[in-house]
Amino acid sequence: MADVTLCNKTPINTKEELYALLNDKSGKQYYQQMKELEVDGDALWATIRKSMKSRLKTWLEICAHCGMCADSCFLYLANDKDPKQVPSYKIQSTLGEIVKKKGQVDNEFMRHVMDVAWSKCTCCNRCGMYCPFGIDMGIMFSYLRGLCFTQGFVPWEMKIGSGMHRVFRAQMDVTTEDWVDTCEWMCEEYEEDWPGLEIPVDKEDADIIYTVNAREPKHYPEDLAEAAVLFHLAGENWTVPSEGWEETSLAMFAGDWEGCKLQVESVYDAITRLRPKRMVVTECGHAYRATVIEGPYWAGRKSGQPPVETLHYVEWVAEALRTGKIKIDPAKKIKEPVTYQDSCNYIRNAGLGDIAREIMSYMAEDFREMKPSREHNFCCGGGGGFNGIGYYREQRNKGLIVKRDQILETGAKLVITPCHNCWDAIRDLEEVFKVGIRWSFLKPLLIEMAIVPEHLKVREEEEEA
Amino acid sequence: MPEVEFQGKTFKVDEDGFIDDYNNWSQEWVQFVKKEEGIEELTDEHNKVIDVLREYYEKNGIAPMVRVLSKVTGFKLKHIYELFPSGPGKGACKMAGLPKPTGCV
Repeated sequence: MADVTLCNKTPINTKEELYALLNDKSGKQYYQQMKELEVDGDALWATIRKSMKSRLKTWLEICAHCGMCADSCFLYLANDKDPKQVPSYKIQSTLGEIVKKKGQVDNEFMRHVMDVAWSKCTCCNRCGMYCPFGIDMGIMFSYLRGLCFTQGFVPWEMKIGSGMHRVFRAQMDVTTEDWVDTCEWMCEEYEEDWPGLEIPVDKEDADIIYTVNAREPKHYPEDLAEAAVLFHLAGENWTVPSEGWEETSLAMFAGDWEGCKLQVESVYDAITRLRPKRMVVTECGHAYRATVIEGPYWAGRKSGQPPVETLHYVEWVAEALRTGKIKIDPAKKIKEPVTYQDSCNYIRNAGLGDIAREIMSYMAEDFREMKPSREHNFCCGGGGGFNGIGYYREQRNKGLIVKRDQILETGAKLVITPCHNCWDAIRDLEEVFKVGIRWSFLKPLLIEMAIVPEHLKVREEEEEA
Repeated sequence: MPEVEFQGKTFKVDEDGFIDDYNNWSQEWVQFVKKEEGIEELTDEHNKVIDVLREYYEKNGIAPMVRVLSKVTGFKLKHIYELFPSGPGKGACKMAGLPKPTGCV
């Protein structure tokens, strides 16, 4: 019999199910129904036995409860050092309990687990750097989210996000036609200022395949246009795929392992089809993590690598500046104090800290480091899906204070945020706390300060016409 | 659910300040969001965007892509941003009484 409730254990695989859930604004009925959702303890235990490997088992067992992880967690700091926010406690009292009880837990407990997994951990992986045993609670919480997903205990927006990936192969309702149409539209709109601007779709054997976040075609297409302008300025031979263009994975934040695999394989298929030399990922942190760090394992790739060498956008920018493909007009360097938000997903997961500083040396006259920074930087406050879950807005807003204070201490009013999620969180912290800061991706700033080669300039007669 | 009062009317809003129900939308709500978003003057062009968003939402149950909004209104992207500085997915949807779009917005 079909499951007719909105909150259930079945992933969303059809448009009808997806729109029925969207229609339940803020998930009012969904969360009500969750209170009646039965926990299948046997199935939960069977999943654990099948999927919980030695690393996680060992981590659960060897935790010495030393508390070294406490101060590493921004949510612990933001919540007045509440002992219930200590990472080891958070994971032991949730995943640890489920394992101890061999999956035989009740509805109330699973709803509590959901609250902890999505509102007390952003999977930023910072705690793993401070644990003497290297126990990474972020990894364990990602796993726990997967267990929650199999039992249907997942926040409303995350269930929608996972469903979007399953139905559209994108985290939003953007079809292939919509995407290609948006690429064409952006060229039309920007070609007045950038004659000859192109977004080549499905070009084979290009030097670069560029992949994006669905929010770009859906809500912020200027992001895509600006990428095109910079590739144009740099003279790159690039393309976007008509299918497999979505790099992000709300399925990862939702704990939908099957959805993760489906999504990342669509990107890898595009690479196989178009044979680019390299892939460049947009200014998004989790997209990089999903496709470059975690994706190869979801897709069962033995190399542990994506099918082609992949660069996060910051790596491409650093390379373009270093090689002179893009030249900065020194007079246009940013004069005011500026700081940089290191995204957890490519700082701790890929070590791109030096790259970010190299970029800043080209762009900013008065670059101010946050303290701590690089791989020790704190999460923006909204990672791991936290920004997108209305149900936990109060908790997210409280968590933002650590980043707010870090930014204010630098004295900078401009924060460079080469990650969509960080960009959103810092925008929201300004909305909530009104501290008078601005935030920006790299792309619009680079376009403002780049030297435009003569042959790419708008000619006067074109301007007059 | 928090409430806001404006011009003698009370609106229930969600955690992000979007109206609780599309059907509770009114001109007073539009005026309230205008003030919140720091929009100086409300023009026919703002109303056109609102009408298109509401019509699309009624039919499809979700906010449209910006491409659709631009096509139907005939406004360029830059102009949509001039009308709604916080963007089509935030300020415009809020003013039109749509829910906050889900996902990474």
